[in-house]
Amino acid sequence: MSSWSRQRPKSPGGIQPHVSRTLFLLLLLAASAWGVTLSPKDCQVFRSDHGSSISCQPPAEIPSYLPADTVHLAVEFFNLTHLPANLLQGASKLQELHLSSNGLESLSPEFLQPVPQLRVLDLTRNALTGLPPGLFQASAALDTLVLKENQLEVLEVSWLHGLKALGHLDLSGNRLRKLPPGLLANFTLLRTLDLGENQLETLPPDLLRGPLQLERLHLEGNKLQVLGKDLLLPQPDLRYLFLNGNKLARVAAGAFQGLRQLDMLDLSNNSLASVPEGLWASLGQPNWDMRDGFDISGNPWICDQNLSDLYRWLQAQKDKMFSQNDTRCAGPEAVKGQTLLAVAKSQ
Amino acid sequence: MGDAEAGKKTFIQKCAQCHTVEKGEKHKTGPNLWGLFGKAPGFSYTEANKNKGIVWGEETLMEYLENPKKYIPGTKYIPGTKMTFSGLKKKSEREDLIQYLKWATSSLRKYVISQNF
Repeated sequence: MSSWSRQRPKSPGGIQPHVSRTLFLLLLLAASAWGVTLSPKDCQVFRSDHGSSISCQPPAEIPSYLPADTVHLAVEFFNLTHLPANLLQGASKLQELHLSSNGLESLSPEFLQPVPQLRVLDLTRNALTGLPPGLFQASAALDTLVLKENQLEVLEVSWLHGLKALGHLDLSGNRLRKLPPGLLANFTLLRTLDLGENQLETLPPDLLRGPLQLERLHLEGNKLQVLGKDLLLPQPDLRYLFLNGNKLARVAAGAFQGLRQLDMLDLSNNSLASVPEGLWASLGQPNWDMRDGFDISGNPWICDQNLSDLYRWLQAQKDKMFSQNDTRCAGPEAVKGQTLLAVAKSQ
Repeated sequence: MGDAEAGKKTFIQKCAQCHTVEKGEKHKTGPNLWGLFGKAPGFSYTEANKNKGIVWGEETLMEYLENPKKYIPGTKYIPGTKMTFSGLKKKSEREDLIQYLKWATSSLRKYVISQNF
C-alpha cells in the first residue's frame, strides 16, 4: 500500500523542479512496490495495470493534483460545501468518482469537463438542492449517476441533459414531490430508475416513456395513492417493481397488463383492501415463472368474494409469496386476522 | 436471529443489481458472494480488501453493511469501495440480510425447504 501526499515535493538544491518531482514520483512508486506505509495523513493509492485508484478520507487531505493514470477517485466524508476548483484537472482517464458524504451544496458547471470518460458518479449523501445547467455536457460516457440522499425538492429535465448513455439513475432519499413530464425521454439505455424514499404523491403518466428496456423501477417509500393503467405500458419487459411502503388504495385493472417478465413485485405495506378482477392475470404462470416472488403483506385486505381472482392466483403462486404470515385479512369480521392463504385454501 | 426471508427481499432490492450469490454465477459489477462467510474475498475490486485481509463473518458484515464506505480506524474495513451503496441503517434489516446471506452463499442452501430460498 502506498500513499499520495498532498504536498508538492520541494526541490533539493540545484535540481530542476520537474526533475525533482519525477524523482519524488519514482520514490513513491518504489515505495508502493515495496509496500512501504507512509503517513496516515495521506490518501491511499493502489496501482494496477489499469491505472491508479486513489481513496481519500479524513484525516488525509484532498490531493491538489492527481496522477494522469487515475482511473478511480474517492473523496468522501469531508466537510466540504464546495469542491476545490480543478480537483479533476489532468485526470482525463478517470472512470469512477465517489464523492459521497461531503456536505456538498453545489457543483460548478465545468467540474466534469476534464473527465469525459467518467462512467460512475456517486454523490450520495450531500446537500445538493439542484444541479447547474451544462453539468453533464461532457458526460456522454456516464453510465451510473447516484444522487441518493441529497436535498432535491424538484427535478429539472435540463439538469440531466447530455447523459446519453445513462444506465442507472438513483434519485432515492430526496424530497421530490413531483416529477416533470418527459423526464426519461432521452434515456434510451436506462436499466434502473430509483425514486424510492421521496415524497411523490403522483407520477406523470408518461414517466416511463423513453428507455428501451427498463429493468428495475424503485418507487418504494413514497406517498402514491393510485397505480394507473398507463404507467407501466411502455415497459413490458420490466423485471423488478417496488411499490412497497406507499399509500396505494387503488390499483387500476390494467395496471400490470403486458408485463411479460416480472421477476419481483412488492406491494407490501400499502392501503389495499381489494384489487380489481383480472389484475393478476398476466403475472406469473402459465406465461412466466416469477423468478423471485411477490409481497402483498401489510395491507388491510377485505377477504370477501371480490378477492376470488386473487385467491386463485395465490394458490398457484404460493411458493413465490414473501411474508405469508404477515398477509392477513382485516375483514370481514368472520375471517379477520386469518392469513389470505388460509382463506384462499378454504374457497 | 435475523429473518432470512426478509433478508432475501432486501438482497433483491438493494444488492442483486451488482451481486450474485449462487455457486458459479459470474461476477457482475460486484463480486459473486458464494463462500462469503469465513473467507477473504477473491475478487479484486479496488484491491483495498486484498491488502486489508478481511475475513467475512456476522460481526464484520454487521459493521460493514451499516456504512460500507467508511473506514473505521483500528478495524480493517474497506475505504474507497466501488460500491454506490450507502449502507443499511436499520439493525434488523442488516441482521435479516446477513441471515439470508448465510444460507444463500453456502452449502446450507440445500437444507432449506422453503422455495423462497
